Amino acid sequence: MPVYERGYRPWENSGKRAAPAWRAIARRGIAEPIKSRRLLFLLVVAWVPAIVKGGILYFTFKMGELSKLLGGDWTDITAAGFHAFLMWQAPFVLIILAIIGANLIAKDREENGLALYFSRPLGLKDYVAGKGAIILTYYFAVTLFPLYALCIFGYLVTNGATGIEMLIEIPLRGTAYCLLAGTSYALVLLAISSLSTRTAFAAMWWVLLVAGTKALAEINALFDARLAIMSFPGQFLNGGTLFFGANPNLEGVSPVVSLGMIILYGAVGWLILRRRIRPVEVVS
Amino acid sequence: MSGFAIDKDAPMIHAERVSKWFGEVIAVNDCTLSLGPGVTGLLGLNGAGKTTLFKLMSGLIVPSQGEVRVRGNRLRREVGLFRRVGFCPESDALFDWLTGREFLSLMIRLMGHNAAEVARRTEASLELVHLVDAADTRIGAYSKGMRQKIKMAQALAHDPEIIFLDEPLNGMDPVSRREIVSLVKRLGGEGRCVIVSSHILPEIETMTRSIALIHHGKLMAEGDITEIRDAIEDRPTIVAFTSPEPKRLASFLAGQELVMGVEIDEFGRVVARTDHAVSFYRELPGWLLAETLPVAEFRTTDDNLQAVFDYLVGG
Repeated sequence: MPVYERGYRPWENSGKRAAPAWRAIARRGIAEPIKSRRLLFLLVVAWVPAIVKGGILYFTFKMGELSKLLGGDWTDITAAGFHAFLMWQAPFVLIILAIIGANLIAKDREENGLALYFSRPLGLKDYVAGKGAIILTYYFAVTLFPLYALCIFGYLVTNGATGIEMLIEIPLRGTAYCLLAGTSYALVLLAISSLSTRTAFAAMWWVLLVAGTKALAEINALFDARLAIMSFPGQFLNGGTLFFGANPNLEGVSPVVSLGMIILYGAVGWLILRRRIRPVEVVS
Repeated sequence: MSGFAIDKDAPMIHAERVSKWFGEVIAVNDCTLSLGPGVTGLLGLNGAGKTTLFKLMSGLIVPSQGEVRVRGNRLRREVGLFRRVGFCPESDALFDWLTGREFLSLMIRLMGHNAAEVARRTEASLELVHLVDAADTRIGAYSKGMRQKIKMAQALAHDPEIIFLDEPLNGMDPVSRREIVSLVKRLGGEGRCVIVSSHILPEIETMTRSIALIHHGKLMAEGDITEIRDAIEDRPTIVAFTSPEPKRLASFLAGQELVMGVEIDEFGRVVARTDHAVSFYRELPGWLLAETLPVAEFRTTDDNLQAVFDYLVGG
């Protein structure tokens, strides 16, 4: 019978964690991309519409009727105006999410890194939540955070004249919409990332899904307006009108249907992730 | 996550009638295996099912049939149990864009430790595998041996009770090999359950005499090499003695029930064959003392891992 020197300290499981596992994944994943100067530059550029709108809001209130010459959504400080702002951000969402999200699972799969994650006390939900939080953070960075900034700025330049709507109502509407849209985007993008071991392919599929379906829907809508439902990003914007009380922007498709589509995209993404994420790549 | 109880009397790891098939292919077939403290070598030819069994036991894949329990609990069902498990994969499953320190800190943080503990364990692990100087270099720039070491470090950083090492010496230089072999033996000596998978037999033999041998998906043998060798009935163990009185020794041995046959070879050595090697070794010192038989040296010519492996898998 061998005698063992039990000099080590076996880590007794208390069942308590200092932080959930998903947070460790998110923290590392959020910190990594901002080391890239190109991404930082892109993030700064993505704030330009907010800065421009902020400047216009400022002049609107400082110069009165004169600034209305600028007109349109730029001077609109109602909830609908902020929905329009989120529409302007759509190209940035497309590009930044492609850069941030395409590699999140593809790279782990390419390098068999899933085994490292799943040999630790975390499950599929922790892993997806951690990766999803990375996408959400960057999505918020180009949508929700500038919206908050604009609301606070608008409230300040109007000396509080815009009241509770600018300070609470619009941010709440924006938060609800961005949480739903961002989660759905994150699940779809992660699902795409999980389908390949090549980041470039995942990014390509993402761009095709967003830009390709939009183009296709616009062409088809010339023949039948209901075919606008084919547009992946169109559903997000059309569904968003429900949150901001804006007019539907997809002719022939009800915002409620678009909202359902947003939820459906997320659900399909989750189902794909459940099938695709396995600790060990099995070669049959 | 805390909804499980650790049964200290249960085997550290127990696989009960575990099978795994991928489509039509049966990778592991009805294997039952219990492992406790110490180092165990998991052996098999390429494609024998060794890696699949290894990953089944480490909870990375779910068995098609049967179950794996760690201290009485099912691993994949109770993910908190992974805090007791350290896993060093065979593949270069590393995040090349991170530095060694960042990588270890992420891996330790995933275990649920707080920031101070993460920092302490990161530094301790880097020291353990002698990578302090390369800690701030990106893993992508590491040599094969350094990558092996950082993989070992992440498997050990949280002080696990059960450690899975898949081909841990791959690509290492002789000095690093010695360090890792010594580390593995120390971990086993501390009472941890260390499972080392390898198809390089001398590598395993330097770490342990306890093995589990898998062939064509079936567990063929498990236990101490000598005991397994002894259990191979159709291949008697051969023991060669060097003695100044070979004839007297040969004559004595020939009269023993445990000895099947004796001869003196061309080098003047007494060569005895026994199919009860364990009992033979137990009795031998008594015989030599009682009969005052002088023996300068004796050695078993086929009581080694290579011979056991060859006899069992027909290599």
